[in-house]
Amino acid sequence: MSSHKYSFCIFLVISIYAVVCIDAVNLTASELPDKLKTVPSLNAASDSPSSVVFKPAVDSLLPLTLLSSFPEDLEISEYCSEVLHVFGQRYVDYVKCLVPAARPVKVCQNCFSSYGKLVEIYTNISNQVGPGNESCGESLLHSDRLMLVYLLYSNLEDVWSKAACERCLTKGSQSLTNDTLYFMATLNHTQRCFDTYKEGNHTELCKNCKSTYKGLNELYSQMEKNLTLCIDIEDAMNMTRKLWSKNFNCSFPREETVPVIAVSSFMLFLPIIFYLSSFLHSEQKKRKLIHPKRARSYNSLMNIQDKLS
Amino acid sequence: MANITKKVSWSSRTDEFGQAGEGTPLLNGSEQPRPSRQLSGRGSLFQIGRLSTVDLEEEITSDEDSLRGRPKEIPHNEKLLSLKYESLDYDNIENQLFLEEERRMSYMGFRCLEISRWVICGLIGLLTGLIACFIDIGVEQLARIKFHVVKENIEKFTEVGGLSISLILWAVLNSAIVMMGAIIVAFFEPIAAGSGIPQIKCFLNGVKIPRVVRLKTLVVKVCGVICSVVGGLAVGKEGPMIHSGAVVAAGVSQGRSTSLKRDFKIFEYFRRDTEKRDFVSAGAAAGVSAAFGAPVGGVLFSLEEGASFWNQMLTWRIFFASMISTFTLNFFLSIYHNNPGDLSNPGLINFGRFEGDSVTYNLYEIPLFIAMGAIGGLLGALFNVLNYWLTIFRIRYVHRPCLQVMEAMLVAAVTATVSFTMIYFSNDCQPLGPDHTEEYPLQLFCADGEYNSMATTFFNLPERSVRSLFHNQPGTYNPLTLGLFTLTYFFLACWTYGLAVSAGVFIPSLLIGAAWGRLCGIMLATITSNGSIWADPGKYALIGAAAQLGGIVRMTLSLTVIMVEATGNVTYGLPIMLVLMTAKIVGDYFEEGLYDIHIKLQSVPFLHWEAPATSHWLMAREVMSSPVTCLNRIEKVGTIVDILSNTSTNHNGFPVVVQVSDNDEPAKLCGLILRSQLIVLLKHKVFVELARSRLTHRKLQLKDFRDAYPRFPPIQSIHVSQDERECMMDLTEFMNPTPYTVPQETSLPRVFKLFRALGLRHLVVVDDVNRVVGLVTRKDLARYHLGKHGLEELQLAQT
Repeated sequence: MSSHKYSFCIFLVISIYAVVCIDAVNLTASELPDKLKTVPSLNAASDSPSSVVFKPAVDSLLPLTLLSSFPEDLEISEYCSEVLHVFGQRYVDYVKCLVPAARPVKVCQNCFSSYGKLVEIYTNISNQVGPGNESCGESLLHSDRLMLVYLLYSNLEDVWSKAACERCLTKGSQSLTNDTLYFMATLNHTQRCFDTYKEGNHTELCKNCKSTYKGLNELYSQMEKNLTLCIDIEDAMNMTRKLWSKNFNCSFPREETVPVIAVSSFMLFLPIIFYLSSFLHSEQKKRKLIHPKRARSYNSLMNIQDKLS
Repeated sequence: MANITKKVSWSSRTDEFGQAGEGTPLLNGSEQPRPSRQLSGRGSLFQIGRLSTVDLEEEITSDEDSLRGRPKEIPHNEKLLSLKYESLDYDNIENQLFLEEERRMSYMGFRCLEISRWVICGLIGLLTGLIACFIDIGVEQLARIKFHVVKENIEKFTEVGGLSISLILWAVLNSAIVMMGAIIVAFFEPIAAGSGIPQIKCFLNGVKIPRVVRLKTLVVKVCGVICSVVGGLAVGKEGPMIHSGAVVAAGVSQGRSTSLKRDFKIFEYFRRDTEKRDFVSAGAAAGVSAAFGAPVGGVLFSLEEGASFWNQMLTWRIFFASMISTFTLNFFLSIYHNNPGDLSNPGLINFGRFEGDSVTYNLYEIPLFIAMGAIGGLLGALFNVLNYWLTIFRIRYVHRPCLQVMEAMLVAAVTATVSFTMIYFSNDCQPLGPDHTEEYPLQLFCADGEYNSMATTFFNLPERSVRSLFHNQPGTYNPLTLGLFTLTYFFLACWTYGLAVSAGVFIPSLLIGAAWGRLCGIMLATITSNGSIWADPGKYALIGAAAQLGGIVRMTLSLTVIMVEATGNVTYGLPIMLVLMTAKIVGDYFEEGLYDIHIKLQSVPFLHWEAPATSHWLMAREVMSSPVTCLNRIEKVGTIVDILSNTSTNHNGFPVVVQVSDNDEPAKLCGLILRSQLIVLLKHKVFVELARSRLTHRKLQLKDFRDAYPRFPPIQSIHVSQDERECMMDLTEFMNPTPYTVPQETSLPRVFKLFRALGLRHLVVVDDVNRVVGLVTRKDLARYHLGKHGLEELQLAQT
């Protein structure tokens, strides 16, 4: 019985996992709540066979319909499952937006609206009280060990805060700030300049685009000081700098080796002169020896010599 | 006595006396010229310790020298004892005045004394912490200005060309700042040079280093250390903190400042060497604790370096002072860093936290650590040898203050030049971190968005460099950068220590060690090559730093605890201890610790823990100075004045005997009196005749002696009229009636142990019927030391 039970469990987990994986990208809205509900219960069953509550679930051959057998008050309400459904939809939208924006990083510019919606629904779940004076926060967020909804959300929130997108957005994440837009415009300007001179000799490019590039650099460091940098801007600037320094080789060349060597060898020469001259010209400090007075014991000297020999 | 007509100034008397004493330049010396028989006897006796090393001809010539009485002049070397150093009086003088005072003092009085000891310790901690805070903020602000100026200049000239001008600007700025520091040290207070740890070690050992605990020294020290750190020398500000703490302690515990001529009339009971020493050890501990954020380390430092006189209550008080000092520093720095109340920022140097998985260590790493300890010992010994020769050269040839200032300026300029050249030719570029751990990133020829990795080590305050070596991500430095940095900084630091600037050697040692330690870590990671992270470079940097520091200063217990406390990770106790042990063993095989070398080169009569190993055959009879200048119990004022003002004798303690015999026969001992006491007595004219004539005679109290402490006037400043010279002085009340004595046959180690354990200044050698035959002082003991050829004897010299 027990071996059968475990093999079944494993099979079930694998199959569910496969389904989730395959469908991960294009989950339909109706599937998602069910899956979300089933996964925790199955996990709990396979992890702790001793758990009394879930024991019947393992015996049954139809685990997906199982939850309906729970008493009314343990199940989530219609309203909450609706909310969860919406959460799933927005979650998917957001992730769909994030992934293509990974390289070159355009996370903040492209996804701020979908993130805003996700935040909205999550706040709904955690704070708002639905009809019948019930709160979904408790039942959806904290009723099991995994706390999947919370986990999923907090991961994405982490991504957002790591990207520091808040700094590029206006209050309430409605739109990009003017600073950001201005920076983008300047960046485009610079890139156009690069494009114009890209062909042929790079020295031409270095000369002609220098002022625009410098302007961009200054703007960037200005924004750095004001703490208005998000990942999009940083990444764009990084790429531009790399283009400028590595691809076009416009960094400052090391040209003045000779004067630097000359000056430093002169400096290094000074102490040698100093020590030589003080050795030759300075009077050596002498110490006057003083002879201390010792006992005039007549036999002690002999004694010592005896002892030494 | 009001109408005394004839006043005699004692300078003329001394001249007269000098003529009388000519030909016998005797240390202990004396009333009558000695018979020649004794002189020759003494001459050959002087060579006893060297019989095995010196051949006969040389012995004869030196013998002749001494016979002619011509002082022999030799270049300065390490085998000398200077006459200018005196002992401190750690032994309590239990004379009648003392007993009376004790009788008068109530129970409450003693309780108050105990409480005021605690108050003083608290004050010491507070003030030391404040000074540390001042130094820290001063250095940081000034360094920021300097680095910004240089950085802007470099950035400007990278673009338009002319970087050699930036180089000159940097060098000139550095030299100018260092010049200020060197001038105040060289011209105003030479004792403030260096780290001050050797001097404090000597003080706690019982040697009175002139001017070492004065307010002026403190001021010069603090300003000097700010100048030298800001001036970009390869120095740290930690060592001087210990000296500063000691000065604070010596000042606060006395309740007055002689320099400022202010007497607050408090803590008068503590105005003697015994009490002062306890407070100075508390001050040194507070200094260590402020410097490294290591209160326990501070206490152990005092224990290890200083006090051979130790008890539980004193330890507890010292710990209190240390804690207060860390707390104060913490508190004020938290205000400075705009998060008041945050007390987790201890110490001037903050190693940062070593936490997380990458810094754990494993059993198989222990042999590696020990090997690194051995490397540290070797490098430390090399450092010390080089510094030893340099210091001898400096003492012999660079002794004029203006030369010293010039030397310091040159070192500053060369340090800047070398740093600049290294940065200029470095190709190691690293991307800027997200959280800007680099404070002054220099781009130079690196791509935009990257910085020059060499610049983070050279173009920064040394403490910051240490911290970035400990904590930066693996891959921040490439091996070539680290290797070059270690090499150059090693020689720069070695060259810098011993300049006439106040500066410590802790940070440069840590920095050198951290650099090569990190190098080791990187190498290990590449050897194993499977990309495992067990060889975290930061961890190896820490071990390397410990090894290098241990190899240079050779401290053991206290350094281990200091390092452990500074890293804030007790699990590192074992590796750090092993590393320091190895470093000390390996290093001691070649050369002594840096502080011991400097103590030796200063010709200080320093008493180590033990007498030289093979000295049991030496007896007190051979060690002692003899004959002794004794005083009668009731002595003529003229005689006392003559003895005190004799320039060829600078004796400080005089056995008091029942009756000095005329034919130089030893007389029976009944007490011991100090020069300082005699001077106070002469100043107050405590003469027998005066006491009889004056009815309302105020009795001299212990307070009068304390008021004169610690700067007793020289005998030349006390005028005694011709009439007064005929008066008599009764010493019975003032002398120490129970001085320590030993029989003539006592062995040197026994005498030594007595001296060291009791903190004696004079030890009277008596014969079987308690007659004074000789006197052992610190210099008599300190002159024996174990050299390469057995027991050697140091020579006394005028410095």
